[in-house]
Order: sequence, then C-alpha cells, then structure tokens
Amino acid sequence: MRSTIRGSSPKRGFGIVACVALVMAMNGDALPVLKAQSASTAAAVPDLSGVWDGTRRSHPINGPTVPWARTVPEGTILPDGTPADRNYVSNFPVLNERALAFQKIFDEPLSPKYDCQPSTPPALEFDPFNMEVVQWPDRVLLRYEKDDQLRTVWLDGRQPTSRDYGVQGFSVGRYESNALLVETTHYVFDITGFDDYNGIPSSQQKKVTERYWRDGDQLKATVTVEDPMFLRKPTSYTMRWLPAPKGYKLKAFDCDPEAARLSVQFIPPRYK
Amino acid sequence: MKVGSRILFASVLTAGFLARATPVVAHHSAAAAYDETKRVEAQGTVTKVLVRNPHSWVFLESADDKGQKIEWQIEMGGVPSMAWAKDALPIGAAVKVAGNPSRAPGSHGITGATFTKADGTPVGPRGGRGEYTPR
Repeated sequence: MRSTIRGSSPKRGFGIVACVALVMAMNGDALPVLKAQSASTAAAVPDLSGVWDGTRRSHPINGPTVPWARTVPEGTILPDGTPADRNYVSNFPVLNERALAFQKIFDEPLSPKYDCQPSTPPALEFDPFNMEVVQWPDRVLLRYEKDDQLRTVWLDGRQPTSRDYGVQGFSVGRYESNALLVETTHYVFDITGFDDYNGIPSSQQKKVTERYWRDGDQLKATVTVEDPMFLRKPTSYTMRWLPAPKGYKLKAFDCDPEAARLSVQFIPPRYK
Repeated sequence: MKVGSRILFASVLTAGFLARATPVVAHHSAAAAYDETKRVEAQGTVTKVLVRNPHSWVFLESADDKGQKIEWQIEMGGVPSMAWAKDALPIGAAVKVAGNPSRAPGSHGITGATFTKADGTPVGPRGGRGEYTPR
C-alpha cells in the first residue's frame, strides 16, 4: 500500500513544498539561516551583558558641543570619561552643502522628538539614561530606557531586505577582538537624525558602526556615523557607561506627548 | 503664599550672571526655547506638577506687576530626575524660582530653574536645582 498525505502522493507533497519554498525565495521571504557565530570565535565573546548607567555619572550630558565638539578646553572630561588633552581633534561633522542648507532652514518645532518620536543612533546611545545589554547566541538585544527603545543586533548572518527600513534601522553584528561590532543601516530619513542640538538630519544612507568592549568594570563604545547625503566624511565619538546599581531594572519611559511639546510654545515662530 | 500672589520681581539680567545652573534638560536644544544668557526670577504658588518624560513641568500661579494673574511654566528634567518633587513641591507651596526665561514674546516659561522658599532656603536637591541622575 502506498503511503499518502491526505490522499496525495509523497512525490506530489514534496513538489508542493518545493514550489512554495521557491516562491518564497523569489519574494525574499526565505527564512534566514538561524545560526550563532561559530564556536571558534565564540571564545572571544566579551561579557557585555547587564544594566549600564548612561547618566551624567558616566559621561557629560548631551548638548550643542557634546558629544560633537569642534574644540574642547584642556582637562574637560570627554564622553569616554578621560580628560581632554591639548591635542584634542574636532569630531564635529564636516557637513556637505545639502546638510548646510537643511541647517539653514531648520525650524526647531519640526523636531520629531516634540511628538515623542524616539531618538536614534548616534544620539540614542548618548542620551542620559540607562540601558541594558542582553547577549544571546544569535543576537544581542540593546534595551534603552530612553524612549523605550529595543534594538536587535543579529549575529546569525542575516542581512536586511528592502522591507527592513525603520526608525532604528536594521542591525547586524559580530564579535571580533573581544569586542562587539555592530553595523546598522536601513534608517528612514530623520530631520534631526544626526544631532538634535544642531539641526543635522540623516538620510536613508546613514550607516552607524558601533564597537562595544569592556574596559575593567566599564562598558565603552565607539560610535561612527557615515551618511554621504549629509556628511563629507565619517565621524565618531567614544563614550562609556558605568555599572548600574545592583538589581536596578530599566524603567518605562512612557513619553508624554503633552509634556514633550509644551516647550514649543516658548520658541519664537520662524515661519508663518 | 496665596493664589494671586504677586511677583516680587521678574528681572532679566544679562550674560554676566553665569553662575547659572547646569541645564537639566537634555531632550532638546534649550537654546531654541530659552535664553541661556538671561535670568528671570519669579515667585508664586505651585498649582500643578507634571512628572513626565521627556520633561517634567512645574506650574506656578502668580501675578504680574499690574496684578493680572499669570501662570509660570517651569521645564525640568525627566522622571528619573524628579523623585524629590513629590515631597518638596506640594500643591499650594509658595516658592521662588530663578532660571533662564523663555524666548517667545509674552510667554512665561523658565528652565534651568533653582527653587527656593520665600526665605531663600533651597527646595530639593543640588541647592534647589533638582536631581538629574535616576537615584
């Protein structure tokens, strides 16, 4: 007696499955290969997990000259917790003509943050709130108190598709030299996506590269931004987090639209 | 101090007054909404405290120099920085506040605020400037 699948032959059933798989692959729906980084490199996985204090205890509060500064007086504490020396090199972005034009017409009330749209890298990391790192074999979760954001860094080799554009982009990563390297692309246009203090936008071509590593009990990261639509060359900052108090759990941000937009009334209108 | 109490003074000083508080508002460019080179002082009665993210707000009922009732809106840090406010700024409390004035003509906003009692005693941590760290 021949075995059947609901009356169909095994051969026909296999054919149906193969056809479905082929159609999915043609549409880009194929399941990603779920695999963690190989065992040979797993030994180099640094322990970055935990809740990290990103408040003013760890680094200066963000502002028009922090973390992006043209000049810094000698001795000023830098975002990575070290004092600036006299040879400080500006990390303020070199803007192209398009960026300068956007800056010129920029109107502060346009900032999406006044309606609770979450901030994104490179600002999200630096905002003065705590964050948590969760390391799983196939991904790293970056949870931020600021704006209740969750970023997933895929370690399994998957790559973004054309449907993966989003506010936080799409992040892939790998461990290398005892550090976590993260590359994020597929951002959507954001009129303050580079820096909300200086009115610098970011485009769909923004690419943020982050390198996270442990320095004693501190977590450090170098955040590098490329965006050929607005920046003439990449620029970066290095910052640190300190361990959060033992047992600390992230708190909900619950951005309140009323509280977020209230200060807009105090901005002299630039356009009618 | 009762509702409708008048402003002792709402003087605007110039940039020389740079013993200003470290800005506690990290959400946006405060310079767009507030003049950080100037200083305003006012007093009134606390009518509402919104402890919220991204920013908290303290509302004071006061009066201008013509006796007209006005409301000061004082922008503070987010929830983690405002744990002190529940006890230190109860509804009906009389306080003085000094900080950077809002830019829009005719508006009554303040940020970078320092709170004191009528006798000058600081209200809250950091000498009346509030607390920014989440502890």
